[in-house]
Amino acid sequence: MSWPGFIEGLRQGITAIMNLIATPVLIYFLAVNTLMLVLICLAVWEFLHHHRRKGFAGPQEAASSQLAQGVSVVVPAFNEEAVIVTSVQAMLALRYPHHEVIVVDDGSTDATFERLRVAFDLVPIQREIPSDLPTRGVILDVHVPRNGHTPLLVVRKENSGRADANNVGINVATEPLVAIVDADSILDPNALIEVTKPFADDPTRVVATGGVVRSGNGCTVVDGRIVQVHLAKPWLVRIQIAEYLRAFLLGRSGWSRFGALILISGAFGMFRRDVLVEVGGYDPDCISEDFELVMRIHRHMIENGRDYRVHFVAEPVSWTEVPVTAKVLRVQRRRWHRGLWETLWKYRGMVLRPRYGRVGLVALPYYWAFELVAPLLELVGVVLVVTGFALGVVSTPYALMFMAVAYGYGTLVTMAALAVEEVTFHKYARWRDLGAILLASVLENVGYRQTTAWWRMEGWASSLRGKKQVWGTMTRQGFHDDSPAVAALGHEVHAPGGGDTGAHAMSGDV
Amino acid sequence: MTVAQILPVALAAVGLSLVSTLILIVAVKMHRGRSGARSASLLAPYRSALITIASGEDEDGQAKAALFAVPATTWDRLRPTVLGFLPKVRGASADDLSDLMRFHGEIDRATEMLTSRSAVRRAHGAYLLGLVRDRLSSPFLLRLLGDPDADVRLVAARALGVIGEPLAASGVLGALRTHHGQIGLPAWVAAEALLAMGAEITPALQAGLTSEDPAVRNVCAMVAGHGTFASTVPQLRIVLASDSEPDVRASAAVALGQIGGADDVASLVRLTEASESTVLRRIAATALGDLGQHEGLETLSVLLGDVDPRLARLAAESLVRIGPEGISRLGEAASGVSTGARVAGAALEVAGLRGQLPAITAGVR
Repeated sequence: MSWPGFIEGLRQGITAIMNLIATPVLIYFLAVNTLMLVLICLAVWEFLHHHRRKGFAGPQEAASSQLAQGVSVVVPAFNEEAVIVTSVQAMLALRYPHHEVIVVDDGSTDATFERLRVAFDLVPIQREIPSDLPTRGVILDVHVPRNGHTPLLVVRKENSGRADANNVGINVATEPLVAIVDADSILDPNALIEVTKPFADDPTRVVATGGVVRSGNGCTVVDGRIVQVHLAKPWLVRIQIAEYLRAFLLGRSGWSRFGALILISGAFGMFRRDVLVEVGGYDPDCISEDFELVMRIHRHMIENGRDYRVHFVAEPVSWTEVPVTAKVLRVQRRRWHRGLWETLWKYRGMVLRPRYGRVGLVALPYYWAFELVAPLLELVGVVLVVTGFALGVVSTPYALMFMAVAYGYGTLVTMAALAVEEVTFHKYARWRDLGAILLASVLENVGYRQTTAWWRMEGWASSLRGKKQVWGTMTRQGFHDDSPAVAALGHEVHAPGGGDTGAHAMSGDV
Repeated sequence: MTVAQILPVALAAVGLSLVSTLILIVAVKMHRGRSGARSASLLAPYRSALITIASGEDEDGQAKAALFAVPATTWDRLRPTVLGFLPKVRGASADDLSDLMRFHGEIDRATEMLTSRSAVRRAHGAYLLGLVRDRLSSPFLLRLLGDPDADVRLVAARALGVIGEPLAASGVLGALRTHHGQIGLPAWVAAEALLAMGAEITPALQAGLTSEDPAVRNVCAMVAGHGTFASTVPQLRIVLASDSEPDVRASAAVALGQIGGADDVASLVRLTEASESTVLRRIAATALGDLGQHEGLETLSVLLGDVDPRLARLAAESLVRIGPEGISRLGEAASGVSTGARVAGAALEVAGLRGQLPAITAGVR
């Protein structure tokens, strides 16, 4: 075939494909945007409801309650020397009547334990650990602060993964509520008060809650507390901040209001301990153990005919460090999408089954159609439009208009999240920070979305090819902590493994 | 309609929405900035007086007088700050701030809000009346315990607790019931409110312990223990022995651990038997430690070797709380080869770290 003949054949092929998919793409586009609009409306409703009632929520009363349910804060840690002391300080200083902090050092090869030992003057004790949940990693030893009163317990074990470390922490936990928190997270002082409120208000039905997780890059930390909220300079981080606002301020809140929240971030989630034991804890074979756990709770509760609630608290409770390099971001996004696919596949039997209510009829189909498949469609769309444009099949105004609508809508969703943020929490006090997030929401459409879509496809493909799942390497810089004690320990350390927001669904959407 | 026809319309809609959202964000931020600056300048002259009152240092009453003289327009901006202080202060400071609220008509406005059609306004009104401890509002707040909105019921119960109106105890207990699809008050909210009402609620507690509603019996048992209502002990014993609800028996066991005596050891020991539920056994083991009677030593020593490691640990902690005799039992167990040796050793180590066991402290690395 001659070259002109090949080009003509390609042109005809592209034209045929575009004609074929024009209507389905339009329907998909309308469906995804309509559902997003519904989610945005639900999220705004949720925030207004929460915000209007904040005035009489009584955090002071909750903080001083002698009858509040105790909380065990479980912190799985693998090579977190850069952040562990700051994080544990913050967790011990949380305002709550009674809580304990349990750090599970999952076989760290860096100075994670040594830093804890020095900072909190740890000594070993012979603590018998219950086996309510099966665990894999061998427990090496258990340590407590020498003063005997600081409610901190550090368990050292052989490396067996984050999920198994969480299960060890749940076994050790002595309180009725368990909060699972990333070691690289900084919690707001009122985090436990806010997130336990649904359990206190509806103790028999609420089984799990999550709160808003935000990027702490660029923020100033003193004594384990965020004291100044600023944006980090790299645009890669700023774009992720826009993503987090969108995912947490609109996505989770909307799903929670709808009564079908199926994902609680691994960075901060709270559960009833008895329910965690009942469902068998975290699945150590699953790469997205946080998503899988919430799905298992839903399935277990529904199949056993239990009246239950999974709530999202529309309050910023946790600040986490997001990747600052493309290499780390790629590892994270591959893992998230792989985890999304594997969990959705595992629970495919719940999809469109009326028995599973809103979770089966709405949330899961949404995640399949608009979270899992979205990067594939986005990449196909980009390839078709660019090829069609090059071959003259697509007119320039048409192509530009199509892209403007698609990406303009994405930007609108982010701006809606920013509007919610500005009306409710207004954490970003400086005009330039607000402007930078606005600009980031536009810039993410130029290269970032397409690149992350490709990475997500890589994650999906690696699962389909049966490649071994790995957490990969996360480079930690540590928070900018101004307190002298922490500054003395230094940061800027590379830590493999590490925490994760477990956000999974961050596709330019909610 | 084709894609080409839809696109311009969609683009216009998206563009318009983008511009509107942008304007909204900018407008909200500008309004907040201006409003904040205006409030700051209006409040600056009164800041010192407010801090003086909140810190309880207004001995000559000058600060109070200055704040009484605040004009109505400025008061609207000062009000949130006063409201923010109220839950954090006690005694004379709280009274002064309450007087300030009353003088500026806030109590009247809050009372009016109680009959508003908006649940949020009703709850706000109830919250404010609780904050200022307005005893005269109790009848209105009692009525709100039957409000259709769960938040309003909850805030009303809390307000009655803060006010400390013992006559409201029966009302709060009544609000625990779930009826007509309305979820009753959360147990802890009711219990906190009752505990704040003081010793005068004893008759209500005694009546509540014989209620048909297990939620009411449960809360009464909780409050009886936490509030050391010693006169309820006979009824708690009956509940522990014969109540049909495990949760209620568990609360009674906790309460008897706090306010019972040597006579209660036998019934608590029975609850630790293997035929009882895991939860009840653990609670009973803890209660035996709280009780601190040496009659419980034998049972707790046996529990050190129980197959439930959590129960064994709780038994060990209870032995520490009982004192020298319990610690001696732990020492014997730790030096043996029984399954409880490790648990006993761990309890002794922690006791040593806490200074409850000076001789052992030196032995811990």
